[in-house]
Formats: sequence, structure tokens, C-alpha cells
Amino acid sequence: MKKILIFIFLLSLPISIYAATDAPKGIIKITPRTAPPLSLENMDGDKFTLSTKNRRWSFVHFWASWCGPCRREMPTIQSVIQAMSKDNIDFVIVNTAESEDTVFSFLGAVAPEVDTLLDRDGLATELWKPRGLPSTYLVDPYGQIQYVVIGGQDWQKERYQTFLRQLSAARNTR
Amino acid sequence: MISRMNSLLLHTKYPSIFLLLICTLATSNLQAAPKRHVVENPKIRMVVIPRTAQQMAAFYEGREFPVNAINATGDACFFTVGIHNKSQHILWLDTDKWTLTSAGRTLSLLSRAYWTQRWKELNLQQRFQSTFRWTLLPNQLDFQPDEREGGNITLARINTPFTLSAHFTTKINNHDEASIITFNNLRCAP
Repeated sequence: MKKILIFIFLLSLPISIYAATDAPKGIIKITPRTAPPLSLENMDGDKFTLSTKNRRWSFVHFWASWCGPCRREMPTIQSVIQAMSKDNIDFVIVNTAESEDTVFSFLGAVAPEVDTLLDRDGLATELWKPRGLPSTYLVDPYGQIQYVVIGGQDWQKERYQTFLRQLSAARNTR
Repeated sequence: MISRMNSLLLHTKYPSIFLLLICTLATSNLQAAPKRHVVENPKIRMVVIPRTAQQMAAFYEGREFPVNAINATGDACFFTVGIHNKSQHILWLDTDKWTLTSAGRTLSLLSRAYWTQRWKELNLQQRFQSTFRWTLLPNQLDFQPDEREGGNITLARINTPFTLSAHFTTKINNHDEASIITFNNLRCAP
């Protein structure tokens, strides 16, 4: 009986939380580390706090309007947010150290459906130690950063959405 | 126009070099863009572009920096640096190991600590300090294979040409291999 249980356990491993090992280009698997705290308000004054209570993956993205690649990437992030609205993944978009007017103008022109948090003094961003801007982290349901994304990506591409869906589908196993 | 095209090209290749397009577009009608320097070996491609005080002022003014902070940037010499790790190994950047020499004299890059102190003296708001830090090249970074990053390096203004030797390390089979990229005859843009 014990051997059968071990066998069943081993069979279950491939569909564990980290099943999506074939990350597309630009998404780097890292040694997991605890995500820094993130508690910010959006432009409407609604507060968001990154937490593990919902047991969902989080796509945490830092950007600024002066960053050229951010301008190209943001519409694709808007697309993936819309395309994955029913998937179990939270999209946490964080503007780094810019005024509301700047953010409002930028998003209005580039990605009007994106709801961004405002890191008004830039200090929350610095806790995350991005390599540069834009910068994206994929945080597992247990609050561990599992992947970092190098540079801006085209999230509309199928391979990226497939990857994110694999992650979100594996949310409750560990 | 050529300078705009060059700038756009570099901007596209190095995701973090957000300055190039904006700065160049802002000032390209006012003066000729300084010469860009490119050195490449099988592992690394590195680009260094001198930035004029006017270009830097235009960029930070566009970000709503106060006048005293913009004036402070004019005391320094800015270069935008783009680095591409062409190898299949992690490439370590550590600017503390870079050397700058001019006529036998050793120069130093202005550190992040220097700028932090400078902004403290000027009571610069935290959000501007944060933006400024993002425009600087990281001191240390483990470039992943094919990764491109960039940012500015700064030094006190000098009138003489200087040499920059940029040291990098690649760890291959548990031993470190050093790579040195050298730029001769760099000059601060006016």
C-alpha cells in the first residue's frame, strides 16, 4: 500500500506548481525568493496589497512613461489582462515615481484599460530591485518570486499566454 | 535625422536605455549629437554615447525636475552605456572594477552615494531621486545570456580625453574568465 501511495505521489509531481518549466524567451526561472511587500493605491485611491490569501499567481509589472520599451509593452499587457480575465492570475501593474497627470496621459493614449498602482515616491519599486524598467516578476501563490522577465515582451504572443495559463492552472498544488 | 535613427536603433536594442530617444529628439535640432563609440568581442557588445549637458537637461526637465537639480546634472559628464551579453553564460558587471585614466591620472565614476548626497543637499523630492537612480547604469548586474541593459555613467567634468576599461567576468566551468572592453579617447560632450 505504501509503495502505491509513493507511486501516486510521484505521478502527481509533474503537474505541480512549477510544471511550466519551458519558459518562453526572456522569462528566467530564478531561485525562489520571498516577494517584497507591495501595498499601494491606484488612481482612484483604491488600495491593493499583494498577499497570498487568494492562492493565485501574480504578474507584477513595474513601468514608467519615460521608458520607451514600456510604451511598446503596455498595450500587449492590456491585451493579456483582457484575454486572461477569467484565469487565476492577478495582474499588478505599478507605475514608478510619476505624477498622476503623467500616468493618466500616458495610459489614456497607450493602454486605457490598464489600472495601475502608483508608487509615488518610487520606494516600493526599489524594494523589488528590478534590473531596469520595464520589469516583470511572476510570483507564485505562496508569495515566492519564481520568474523574472528580462526587458519588455510581447505578451499578446501565444507562447507567453500559454505559459501564464500553465502557471495559473497549477495554482493550488505544491 | 541620422542621429535620431541611431538613437532609435540603440534604444530598441537596449531596453533600459530610455534616455536615448527622448534626449535626442528633444535636442537634435539644436546641436549635432556626439559620436557614439562601439566595441565588440565574441562575448560582449558595448556602446558608449557622450551626452551633452543640454540633452540631459532636456530629459530631466521633461520629467519635471526642479531647476536646481537640472543645474546639478550640468556639473557632471554623462555617458549612456549599452551592454549586450552575447554569450551563453552569465556575464557579471561590476563598475567598481572599471578603470578610467586620463594622461596618466586615474579618474573615478560618480557613485550613487555621491548623487544621493547631492540630492539631499538640494532637498530633491524622493520621486525625482528615484527616477534619477533608474537612469543610471546598475553598479552590479548578472547579465543573462542575450540580455541587454543600459543606463548612464557619470563623472566630474574634464576637458581632456580619457580611456575607459570596462571589466566583466564570466563564470565558465567554475572558473572566472575576465573580459575587458576598452574605449580610448572618450571625451565629455559639452
